[in-house]
Amino acid sequence: MERGFTVWFTGLSCSGKTTVSRQVAEELRKRGLKVEILDGDVVRTNLSKGLGFSKEDRDINIKRIGFVCKLLSRNGVVAIGAAISPYREVRDYNRREIGDFVEVYCKCPLEVCIERDVKGLYKKALAGEIPNYTGVSDPYEEPLDPEVVLETDKEEERESVAKVVRKLEELRYVQPAEAVSYSEEEEETIKQRLTDLGYL
Amino acid sequence: MAERVLIFGLDCAPPDLVFDRWRGDLKNLGRLMEQGIYGELESTIPPITVPAWTSMMTGKSPGTLGFYGFRNRADYSYDAMVFANSQYVREDTVWDILSRKRKRSVVIGMPQTYPPKPLNGCLITSFLTPNTTCQYTYPPELKGEVEGLVGEYMLDVENFRTDEKDRLLRQIYEMTERRFKVAKHLMAAKPWDFFIVVEIGLDRIHHGFWKFFDKDHRKYQPGSKYEGVMRDYYLYLDHQVGEMLSMAGSDTAIMVVSDHGAKRMEGGICINEWLMDKGYLTLEERPREVVPLSTVKIDWDRTTAWGEGGYYCRLFLNVKGREPRGTIERSRYGEVRDRLKRELEGLTDENGNHIGTRVFKPEEIYPVVKGIAPDLIVYFGDLRWRSVGSVGIGSVHTFENDTGPDDANHSQHGIFIMKAPGMKARGKSSGLHIMDVAPTVLKLLGLQVPEDMEGKAIEG
Repeated sequence: MERGFTVWFTGLSCSGKTTVSRQVAEELRKRGLKVEILDGDVVRTNLSKGLGFSKEDRDINIKRIGFVCKLLSRNGVVAIGAAISPYREVRDYNRREIGDFVEVYCKCPLEVCIERDVKGLYKKALAGEIPNYTGVSDPYEEPLDPEVVLETDKEEERESVAKVVRKLEELRYVQPAEAVSYSEEEEETIKQRLTDLGYL
Repeated sequence: MAERVLIFGLDCAPPDLVFDRWRGDLKNLGRLMEQGIYGELESTIPPITVPAWTSMMTGKSPGTLGFYGFRNRADYSYDAMVFANSQYVREDTVWDILSRKRKRSVVIGMPQTYPPKPLNGCLITSFLTPNTTCQYTYPPELKGEVEGLVGEYMLDVENFRTDEKDRLLRQIYEMTERRFKVAKHLMAAKPWDFFIVVEIGLDRIHHGFWKFFDKDHRKYQPGSKYEGVMRDYYLYLDHQVGEMLSMAGSDTAIMVVSDHGAKRMEGGICINEWLMDKGYLTLEERPREVVPLSTVKIDWDRTTAWGEGGYYCRLFLNVKGREPRGTIERSRYGEVRDRLKRELEGLTDENGNHIGTRVFKPEEIYPVVKGIAPDLIVYFGDLRWRSVGSVGIGSVHTFENDTGPDDANHSQHGIFIMKAPGMKARGKSSGLHIMDVAPTVLKLLGLQVPEDMEGKAIEG
């Protein structure tokens, strides 16, 4: 069985979590891995339906996502969590619970996120129509030591994806895409060398 | 527990030279021995660079790793051999495990790391790399950093089986100097929790200069200008180790290890000549000169077994339904193999003296046997005699190596020295095995030892 693990994307709304996580998932599937994305917005329509945005409800939501990630990970699946997950404590709780946990911080200045405002929610939050909105009327606690920091306002999307995948390779969760092996020429060179050295 | 672990890998260092003969001269290694524990480190069967170093770094036996030497049979055809490069290492190394725990490693000169795989840290491959035009580092940009520092990085000497001893000696020193210069640079410039540098120069100097210092060697020449070469190089290595030790903090655990030891070589047993004499191997035509077995036509229909040369012998049986032109009925496999084992164990030297050959069956020495293992693994004269694979020699015994001058053979036990923060134990330890090193590193760093590691953490 392949080794499962969790990649946890955290960051403000519109910081690029969903976009990058989907592409990372696609890349990992290409490498033959089983991947499941748990996107915060989607989870709130089923697994966490009915939960609000108080700190308590947010923590429950993140722990639920973390719990599913843990189950998937221990069964050889790559679980990708993509949720604002604004509180450090509960993110760290998930890290401890899951163990094989890679935190990806989508770092993007609030003003850029507001400008992007894909769902028009920043506008409403700024107008006071949505309470407890992260970055506007609710805090976001930056990760202190994430495995990867993506500066999604400065990087191309593909750069961000490559950064995550490279880190997963370095952390030995994922094998490099191109199987590195001797080319025929290299094989011949090393055979000759070992022959010269007297090994063969 | 230690904050960091620093390992010096001295390829081929034997216990008697380090622990006894030159202990008083090796100030730094001697001090480590005084301040910690030391003992003989039992190597893998076979005690060869590949698979020994990888067994050490994975805590797994060659059977589990599925490779038994530099080249291994890819299938049961007669000529498909593949190099056991990094792609064949499918078990977790120490740095794989540490990478997942976000700990950083610096790995220099470890065999079977080419082509380099990513890791959390940096890696320079070993002498088993085609050449320095290849990508021999991870990350790739490290290559420029290395070459900016030392010019051409030397993965190995050009040829250690040579009579040009001055050139060989010069190359060994140049190579070692550059490697340690890079090691010291990386030690200071990169963050690390685990650092290992493997120096192959010691193995090369043993093979090239053993006969000059060992008075019991058949070819010992008294008063040679090379008599002190080996001792000098040991002192030089000790000095290099000392410089790196002075850079390591007191929170660093130190180990000095070798993958196997060395002993003088008495001569060679020409395995295929022996097999031919006994009627186990038939050539279509006997060669008139000394040539590798792979270059002559074998009459497979009249062949029971063939052997490979090296520091030990790999013997393969020609089995019906397994090899393309097998001759041994499967039902007789055990019987034939046992007979060969008995006869090999009875081998004598050229004067008829019993030499104490040891013969192993893979399934009896490994918990599992993956890949294609030799049918028998043979230590001629308990490794005092090399296996010579060439044919055309015309005798079973030879004192001229078919692959060039070589004075030393490998021995079963290497060295282990450990000093760790808070460690109370002192003195000589026994029962240490090469597979114990990986679990010991993990334990020192406060990590859990995976259950499938076959070694056990060495208590300090």
